[in-house]
Amino acid sequence: MKNKEIILNKIFVIIVALFFAELIFLNSKAVEPDEILNNPKLEIRARNISKNIRCMICQNQSIDESNASLAKDLRILIRDKIKEGKKDVEIYKFLTDRYGDFILLKPPIKSNTIALWFLPFVFLLIGILIVFWHNKKSKKIKN
Amino acid sequence: MKKQILILPLLFFILLLIAFFYILVIERNPSEIPSNLLNKNVPVFKADSLIKKEKFISSKEFGNQILLVNFFATWCKPCRDEHIYIKRFSSNLNIRVVGINYKDDPKKTLRWLKNLGNPYSNIALDKTGKIAIEWGVYGIPETFIVNSKGVIKYRRVGPINEKIFKKINIIIDKINNEE
Repeated sequence: MKNKEIILNKIFVIIVALFFAELIFLNSKAVEPDEILNNPKLEIRARNISKNIRCMICQNQSIDESNASLAKDLRILIRDKIKEGKKDVEIYKFLTDRYGDFILLKPPIKSNTIALWFLPFVFLLIGILIVFWHNKKSKKIKN
Repeated sequence: MKKQILILPLLFFILLLIAFFYILVIERNPSEIPSNLLNKNVPVFKADSLIKKEKFISSKEFGNQILLVNFFATWCKPCRDEHIYIKRFSSNLNIRVVGINYKDDPKKTLRWLKNLGNPYSNIALDKTGKIAIEWGVYGIPETFIVNSKGVIKYRRVGPINEKIFKKINIIIDKINNEE
């Protein structure tokens, strides 16, 4: 009986360890060794851009996390552009010119996305006002 | 007055329900993203041609007449499914179709075209997928309508079926009337 408990305990520890290992390696899963730039500074720039670019095939993953072939092509393209000396803004523009704003994981603040960005705050404000209004009324009734 | 206000949340909820139901019912594919290249000039590119000796140069191919641009590959099953419609465009309707062979083996493509028939007037080889990125392509097959000025007027993501075939015909007729 005790033996069984020890084995179960060990299995549990292994599962937890695997879970943490997974967490640590999660962000470098998709980038393959042959893609990585020699200059670590440029590589970090490439990784940062890739994290903001949506994989058009998987849609809720960035190209930094995705194993799709288009994601790989885009990662290589970003690195090529960095090597050519292009600025980050120019690379983002190249991608949005072709794929639209949808390729950015964070929608930019524009006239047609203002509602998306600020309506939550408006609703929050309305909620607060309703609570205050309600409070005031119930106090009046008590008095 | 107080009771009348209580009905507001209910009304709001019903409106939301109607809106969601409407979006659910209309024919809409959420994974289909509108092209950012609509009403813009075709990308400029140069590539090897599969069926001609001279290079495929975009400025020579586009801007002379209305044509279809079809991204395809032999390894893509939906491309095989839509092939019959691509052939209909070129042989029955006399519309020029330019093919872009995406990440494929040229030998296999030649064999594929021999078996199924070749509807393409010229085929550019996109070995690395860079031409596809220039066109904002993310899932083949994809088909574009380019007008006689070299401007992209329509993009279809996914295979052409009977319904899309008719839709493309209507759009081409419309472009022809405008020009």
